[in-house]
Amino acid sequence: MSTSEHSLAFVERSSLLNRLYPLVKLAWVFTVAVGLFIYRTPLPGAVMFVVLLALAMIAGRIPLRQILGSIQTIFLLGLLLMVFHFFADPGRPVFNLGPLVVTDTGLLQGPIFFFRLSVVVLASFILIWTTDTRDLMVSLAKAGLPYRLAFAVFLALRFLPLIQREVDAVRSAHSIRGRAANSGLGHRIKLWQRYIFTVLVNGLRKAETTATSLECRGFGSQPTRTYLKDVHFKAADLLLLLITVAVSAGLILVERAYWP
Amino acid sequence: MPEEMFVQVENVSYTHWNQDTPTLKEVTLDIRPCTINVLVGPGGSGKSTLCSLFNGEIPHLLGGKMEGRVVVDGLDTRETAVRHLAERAGHMLQDPETMFATLYVEDEIAFGPENLCLEVGEIRQRVERLLEEIQLMPQRSNLVWNLSGGQIQKLGLATILAMNPRMVVLDEPTANLDPQATRQVYELVLKLRAQGITVLLVTRELDDFLLASADQLLVLKEGRLLAAGPVQAVLDLHGSELDQMGIWLPETVEIGLSVVERLGLQSARLPISVDETLSFLGSQRLLPAELENPAGDHTSQPEERQALVSGRELSYTYPNGYTALKGISFEIYAGEMLAIVGRNGAGKSTLARLLTGLLKMQTGALDLFGKPARSWKVEQLAERISLVFQNPEHQFLTDTAYDEIAYSLLARGIDDEVQVRALVDEWLERLQLTPFASTHPFALSAGMKRRLGVATMLVCHPQVLLVDEPTYGQDKEMTRTLMAIMEEIRAQGVSVVMITHDMRLVQEYAQRVLVMADGQIIYTGDPSALFGSADVLRSANLRPTLLQELLAAYEASGGRVVSAVRTPMDFFNMLDFSRWKSSDVN
Repeated sequence: MSTSEHSLAFVERSSLLNRLYPLVKLAWVFTVAVGLFIYRTPLPGAVMFVVLLALAMIAGRIPLRQILGSIQTIFLLGLLLMVFHFFADPGRPVFNLGPLVVTDTGLLQGPIFFFRLSVVVLASFILIWTTDTRDLMVSLAKAGLPYRLAFAVFLALRFLPLIQREVDAVRSAHSIRGRAANSGLGHRIKLWQRYIFTVLVNGLRKAETTATSLECRGFGSQPTRTYLKDVHFKAADLLLLLITVAVSAGLILVERAYWP
Repeated sequence: MPEEMFVQVENVSYTHWNQDTPTLKEVTLDIRPCTINVLVGPGGSGKSTLCSLFNGEIPHLLGGKMEGRVVVDGLDTRETAVRHLAERAGHMLQDPETMFATLYVEDEIAFGPENLCLEVGEIRQRVERLLEEIQLMPQRSNLVWNLSGGQIQKLGLATILAMNPRMVVLDEPTANLDPQATRQVYELVLKLRAQGITVLLVTRELDDFLLASADQLLVLKEGRLLAAGPVQAVLDLHGSELDQMGIWLPETVEIGLSVVERLGLQSARLPISVDETLSFLGSQRLLPAELENPAGDHTSQPEERQALVSGRELSYTYPNGYTALKGISFEIYAGEMLAIVGRNGAGKSTLARLLTGLLKMQTGALDLFGKPARSWKVEQLAERISLVFQNPEHQFLTDTAYDEIAYSLLARGIDDEVQVRALVDEWLERLQLTPFASTHPFALSAGMKRRLGVATMLVCHPQVLLVDEPTYGQDKEMTRTLMAIMEEIRAQGVSVVMITHDMRLVQEYAQRVLVMADGQIIYTGDPSALFGSADVLRSANLRPTLLQELLAAYEASGGRVVSAVRTPMDFFNMLDFSRWKSSDVN
């Protein structure tokens, strides 16, 4: 009955990526993203997409079904974006589709945007699938972010599934009060206001209690804190980053050589 | 020189920052070290507020105005920082889930010690010891929100014990637990005392097991301490007053009270345990050879019963792969009072959601009012079958209690102003909510919210009423009122289905009971027969009520129970009847 086991959540699979230092993975997502904005043709993006897919499945042990399940919405969005670019970009007309003109720039830019979106999202999903939020928080705190701040981010993420659960509960409770089916727009807006009100009131009440109880358990009483499950940085973790930079740089060089 | 006290509360009054009148009024009490102290009081008497006095939440964190002095382990709470008090006294909230800050069970236990900057080795030791002690070892890597109700309470306790406090304050730790889990919590409490920890436990239901071991009973009424002292002495002196305040007493004590008061007997000592009760009744020469109902049994079931709802081989699996129902078959008949019982996670709520159309059917056949479940829309179905949620706040849609009830009528197409007013007023009156007609539903007390939730459902005359934990958070008196109303609508032909842990409720009101365990129905039938089948009770985490234990002991000692005994009052009436009969013979 939990909403926490949906496909976009961390699961301990004892994979290579699971064991990687969280902060390195965060930096890796940025590295991947930067590359994507340098590429001038769709090909490097496509290569990166395949590389990331393989990385997720081999080094991350993520089942292909789960990957496809989570990414399909983004895929659709990417395809729409691509088709939009076909027509919207100025350039030399290649062919006509009724009143719409497909340009050569469009044919090039469309796939570039498709891969930008898909690859960046896939990279962030890999981070989410293979990283315990708690570990990410600990590594951020160890990198110098005040632990209270790092923890606030963690708490916010932690409460998301709970808020989803609350919204579901309110929605079903409302639906059995009747009238939802044949009601007009005005009524629906009122219902939405009510969802937000109920979830907000309950959320605030809980947040207040949680805050008090955290303080009673010593939270914030010391400038630092210890961690039972500490995360440790290993120099080898940087390998992922180095390989990614090398692959990305290689792709750029090849690209510049053939398409100056 | 008097004995050293662990806690001294001296003349404490406290007013919440958003209120004008004090919630606690000149409270003075002492708590000895290594004792179990039980605090009772009706809803709104200030119990939860009192719980916040010991770890410094009052006066340091909650604001408001405190007068008087609280000394915990020699430290004046006003002059001691919260983090120092945290290692003296821990406070477990009514809903421990709101205390949790991390994702996993072991992280949650480690959280407090981590904040204190303890050595990792020391933290690990504490976590291991506590996981062992509270029996959560198999769940150590579970997500905290996938725990059952009982496990949540245990984890809540562990998070506090991780700070190595010398005192724990437990605010209604068993309010929503099944009988077996309740007993486990009480057993843990005894263990804590044995380890030298002082316990303050707040409850609205006095349990014989807990009372047998408690060192002090404290009674709070309207913010004032009404009584404090050894359990037996407080019960003897204030028993009937507690009863009138709506506190649930052990059924044995209720019987004892009836005997003492109604028969005008002078007794120095009220019985608490089953044995004490039998010997007390024996010594008063009140124990007949046979228990018989003077009015005869009227529990006969109607011969021809019409099934409004029938399910065949229903199974349900959630998207995450959790199978909540495993091929269950059942009926709900017109005009019956049916109880669905079983531990948390047994599938009770899933069943309720299938019946109301909130979950879509997967496998099996479900027939609702002569039509297959698939062909009903949630909104249409809502006119026939109503569900009162456990958290009534989720159901509220308007800004006043009055509008809340009126909404139900409007949604059913009843918009004649005079008629609406008459019906709403009637239901406000019946559930004692009239003075709060223009109050915002969220501003009502927990008990009133619950009643308003029931009113919004009953006002449109459903054929089946499902109530999730009808008495959760209600005092005894209000429970009686609610159940009387349900009994009344049942007599008019409405089927009332209550989903509950409360075995006294089942014993007293249910005509039929359906026991669920692990997604299956393991018993369907008469409640009194259920109490006799130890296997079923064990598999479903249930326990017989104290009254049933008393009857069993009575039969074991040679007595015969001829009629159904559903309440302590029944039992008393039977004693009275046999006394009258025997005096008649003589």
